[in-house]
Amino acid sequence: MPRGKVYATCEAALADISSGDTVLIGGFATCGVPRGLIGALCQKAVKDLTCVYSPGAWPNSAGSSGIDQLVANGQLKKLISALPFGPTADWGIIKNAWQTGKLEIEVLPQGTLAERLRAAGAGLGGVFLATGVGTRFAEGKEVRAFAQRECILELPLKADFALFKADTADTLGNVVYRGSGRNWGPVMAMAATVSIAEADRVCDPGGIDPEAVISSGIFVNRVVQGPDC
Amino acid sequence: MLDFDEYYPGQWTMPTAKRLDSSAQARRAARDLKPGETVALGSGLPSLVPWELPPDNAVQFLTESGLLGSPAWGGQSSVQSGLVDSNGVGISLRPGASVNSTVDLAAMLRGGHVDVAILQASQASSRGDFTHWTTAATSGLFGPGFAVDLAAGARRVIAMMPHLGDDGAPNIVPICANPIDGAGCIDLIVTDIAVIKVNASGLELLEVAPGWRTDDVIGLTSAPLAVSPDLVEIAFDLSVFSASGGKASEKVFASGLDALSDLPDGAVVMIDGFAGPGGTPHYLLTSLRDHGARNLTIISNTAGIARVVNFGTPPGKQAIDHTILIDNRQVRKAIASYPVSPSASRPTAFELAYRRGEVELELVPQGTLAERLRAGGAGVAAFYTPTGVGTLISQGKESRVIGGREYVLEVALRADFCIIRGHRADTLGNVVYKGTSRNFNSVMAPSADVTVVEVDEVVAPGGLDPEKIVTPGLYVDRIVIRPGNFSPYE
Repeated sequence: MPRGKVYATCEAALADISSGDTVLIGGFATCGVPRGLIGALCQKAVKDLTCVYSPGAWPNSAGSSGIDQLVANGQLKKLISALPFGPTADWGIIKNAWQTGKLEIEVLPQGTLAERLRAAGAGLGGVFLATGVGTRFAEGKEVRAFAQRECILELPLKADFALFKADTADTLGNVVYRGSGRNWGPVMAMAATVSIAEADRVCDPGGIDPEAVISSGIFVNRVVQGPDC
Repeated sequence: MLDFDEYYPGQWTMPTAKRLDSSAQARRAARDLKPGETVALGSGLPSLVPWELPPDNAVQFLTESGLLGSPAWGGQSSVQSGLVDSNGVGISLRPGASVNSTVDLAAMLRGGHVDVAILQASQASSRGDFTHWTTAATSGLFGPGFAVDLAAGARRVIAMMPHLGDDGAPNIVPICANPIDGAGCIDLIVTDIAVIKVNASGLELLEVAPGWRTDDVIGLTSAPLAVSPDLVEIAFDLSVFSASGGKASEKVFASGLDALSDLPDGAVVMIDGFAGPGGTPHYLLTSLRDHGARNLTIISNTAGIARVVNFGTPPGKQAIDHTILIDNRQVRKAIASYPVSPSASRPTAFELAYRRGEVELELVPQGTLAERLRAGGAGVAAFYTPTGVGTLISQGKESRVIGGREYVLEVALRADFCIIRGHRADTLGNVVYKGTSRNFNSVMAPSADVTVVEVDEVVAPGGLDPEKIVTPGLYVDRIVIRPGNFSPYE
């Protein structure tokens, strides 16, 4: 039995993920990438996933390379990202899958992606943003002026699962992050039906300063102690 | 307009003058910054800019990785620190920095809180459009990261870019060949041979790199280029950022009255507070009363209920709340979620004034109030919320069914001034709160033109843990210390 929200392994925390699910994965460069959960997802027989990932674990970083293995396994149907590849490194696996039509990629401005996730997490039906007006990012979307400024209607982006890295989580799901590792965790935790924090440390309630909690337990459904990777 | 081939009909060779390396370009871009400005850096060349400035510069850099505050010299590796810049390179932070999540960073960029954005373009056009550098690099697939947000939200946008593409073709063009990532948003272009200003009438050559002839720069630019009458050679001096001249403006004010001195009659003023003593800026409320500005619109959770609910007020005393402004006849209108007394037999001063027809009221559900405030600070013009559908709240507002659910359209709220109650601030304006006094503070602070915080204590930069800062300094304009002997009761 899990202790509170705590699961023994990454595999156990992902037991009910299904083919066709939408999965949010946190990370910026080498920071905040949930390597244990990604590794466990790679071992599961699920496919046709839509993945939001922007960006993490560039190929020159230590250990596994973000979602490269998921793409190589053919588990992804679609990638939604502001930066689907590292800015300087080779991104051959994702590029090849995209060029051969095996992977669909939707590129969004990073702030718009974050705001669409937040809208889903905050129960909003849509938000009007000025970002991208007059560019390719406005194509096919409703544009309306507020206070003489044109804005694009962006719709919420709701997911089935969110996988993100935490520094410390308590058994109630309260989470703190570390440094740039905070990145997508707070907003992704809000936006998914099941959000899973892969924490370096798991503590009892009271182990985290309540003033310092970044993601409240109400947003975090599962906690797993991250494997050393 | 000078066409490349017309200008050099068959006899042209690449000028032998040296092009600026990345570091020199970054140094030139840094010259356009001012001490105290908040400067957001995109991936690529812009991330080199901070390293050109002296360590004691007073510029606040914002990275795509969510760090606000200049990187410190002798940065650690990312593995040790968990801190990286927009390029994913490990850095450490100077005292006074804060750590922010991606969605909070997006709000800073889009919400107009950044003075200057520096991004890297592959092409820039006569009207200031740009295509992000990753577009050219990846032939059809690209990764703008935050570049589109930077371009849309910053007050000034600098594009750094090579003057020529890898194929030798000019990158400064009449119209971008690739799809654009920002329309008419670039103000200044810094290349490896020139500095070009984007005017409404087109491009103007301001500076050329050492050893470069104006005609050569024009020849390598396919967009029409007017030459500034004040054309100079690019300079690299950054002494303005040295300790003597590089200080940011001081945010700590001597008194509440000082901090509110320019608050005009008719201003829209946000006032923090949930209901009781916690989180109410009592001292600034008395300052606003003493200041005497009239015809105010106040945005606040209540319109002052502490006097009628009591909240532990000592016998013979009265709690300081919005009532002191109502009684002083300074308020014209309230936008609030709880403007009435919980006890019908003990109406609030606002209720009585409302019944007399002296004040207006816009009633907003509490969550919608918070969301409208957040929208005002985060550059969200309007949003659809399910709250209040089918009630009085939705009357006169647009409703819409999205994904099978009905929503009502609510618009952002902004104010001229905001007075909030923090616990501790550093001199850069980073703030932490105490307990439930956090309430509306963190959504109000970003949503006003001038945000004034009342705190118990001011510390030097570095006195607050960067991981625990709730309101980053770029949202706070003025700080006042609540006097040690100040009583929240009169």
